[in-house]
Amino acid sequence: MKSSALTATFVIVVLAVTGTLLNRLAAPAWSATREKQPALTLDSSVTAAGQGVTLALLGGFRALVADAAWMRMYARWEVRDLPAVETLIRVVSAIDPRPVYFWINGARILAYDLPVWRIEAAGGFERVAGPTQQRIGREQAQLALRHLDAAMAFHPASADLWTERASIELSKLHDLAAAAESFRRAWEQPRAPFYAARLHAELLRRQGRKAEALAWLVQVHPLQPPDPEGGREDVVLQRIRDLERELGVAPERTYQPVR
Amino acid sequence: MNAVPFSFWRALLIAQNTLREAARQKLFLFFLLLALALVVGARWLRDFSFGAPELKFLADCGFGAMAFFGAALAITATAQLFFSEIENRTALTLLAKPVWRAEFILGKFLGLAAVTAIFCAMLTLLLMAVLRWREGELMREFPETFASGGAVSYAMVALGGLLQWLKLAVLVALALLVASFAQTQLFTVVTGFFILVICHLQYLAQDAYARAGSWFAQNIGGALAAVFPNFQLFALADSLNAADAPPALHVVRVVLYAAGYIVAAGALAVYCFRKREI
Repeated sequence: MKSSALTATFVIVVLAVTGTLLNRLAAPAWSATREKQPALTLDSSVTAAGQGVTLALLGGFRALVADAAWMRMYARWEVRDLPAVETLIRVVSAIDPRPVYFWINGARILAYDLPVWRIEAAGGFERVAGPTQQRIGREQAQLALRHLDAAMAFHPASADLWTERASIELSKLHDLAAAAESFRRAWEQPRAPFYAARLHAELLRRQGRKAEALAWLVQVHPLQPPDPEGGREDVVLQRIRDLERELGVAPERTYQPVR
Repeated sequence: MNAVPFSFWRALLIAQNTLREAARQKLFLFFLLLALALVVGARWLRDFSFGAPELKFLADCGFGAMAFFGAALAITATAQLFFSEIENRTALTLLAKPVWRAEFILGKFLGLAAVTAIFCAMLTLLLMAVLRWREGELMREFPETFASGGAVSYAMVALGGLLQWLKLAVLVALALLVASFAQTQLFTVVTGFFILVICHLQYLAQDAYARAGSWFAQNIGGALAAVFPNFQLFALADSLNAADAPPALHVVRVVLYAAGYIVAAGALAVYCFRKREI
């Protein structure tokens, strides 16, 4: 008995000493792995535990399991099961946070579908007072923005997440300044669509910040991609001319496109 | 007791025999066929893929099969092949001859490592074939998307397979360590699965203890992280993109990390087995 305890202690001590040395050796590789794999860099201990268990027990199957959970979410969405849909959106993102698709579509459901369900559950659009409807819309929009904030921790360079954020800020919160800022952040990301830059200027203009909008459009106009999908070069140039006219820019100081 | 010097060749003979025994057993074929079916079947599961790009989804399924069925194979095969030698008294016969117990453990490890290597190699090759097939189809279907070349780095797939094998080899060494002192096969299998889960989760425990802030908790977390290897480290090549390839030095570090744990667990298995009455 005593011998067994001594043997067990010896085994643990040898493994601990070896492991301490080996952990030092592997530390740079481990840091690189954690940086590259968003699933290993969670802050929330609750989701981290869930993710860790998933990784441990499912390994590479998490993509498959996340897809299955997403399908289940759709099934609950059809019957407007709000708690289940909300929970499954979070579960899917915790299981596999790598695809931006889950984050964006989850945020859309939170921001656009769930307020409608809540209002209808409270009596419908006819019966629920306008301020209450607005409050519900704001609450759901804030939830969706928090969901997108979590997504950005995993995908810090995703233009799609910033444009989605801007859309929710614009259409649900009617916050022009925040939406303009989000479109600007979207434009700063790699492979950003040009319309993000164009909409940033448009929202500045709507806030009355015309000089800033003009300066921005002049700055981004040369960066417009050759294939103006979503760029609408004629609209951009026309908007520059409109702003120059509204701001009374002297003819000799008007913007002259290089191309 | 050991009048003859240690012989690597005798260990290789035991390894060869272990490999032959494993090939004869239905267990190896069962796990292999299940995993192969899953890798091939993933081609038809892609319709259920919403989030991940299709090729990444296929790769995830392949590596998932390798990790899941590979771990089950490593633990059960180790327990079965080790205890069958003891229960059938072949170990007694063998060790009555001038064969070191260290040779026996080394031979068992090499044989089982070869079993898992064959398993990982077959799955990796099949995964590459499935990916190449589907990539070719996609390239013909959407040539403009693949204008800059293929989307799959097969070197990354091979590296992923190698890292999975290293993880399984460490698991085999730890399962052998447990088997070297365990009295039953069931205990070895159950403990092996516990070790598998702990090794995957130990980094979370370490993080949690570190967040707790107390000196005692941090040391507990540190001890846990030292005793059990971190299996998440073997997910270094979790991408199909060559641009995401880890630096060679990091791969070397992970290989040395695995080798270190294998040597330590193997040496401890020899130590425990030498004290064991057969």
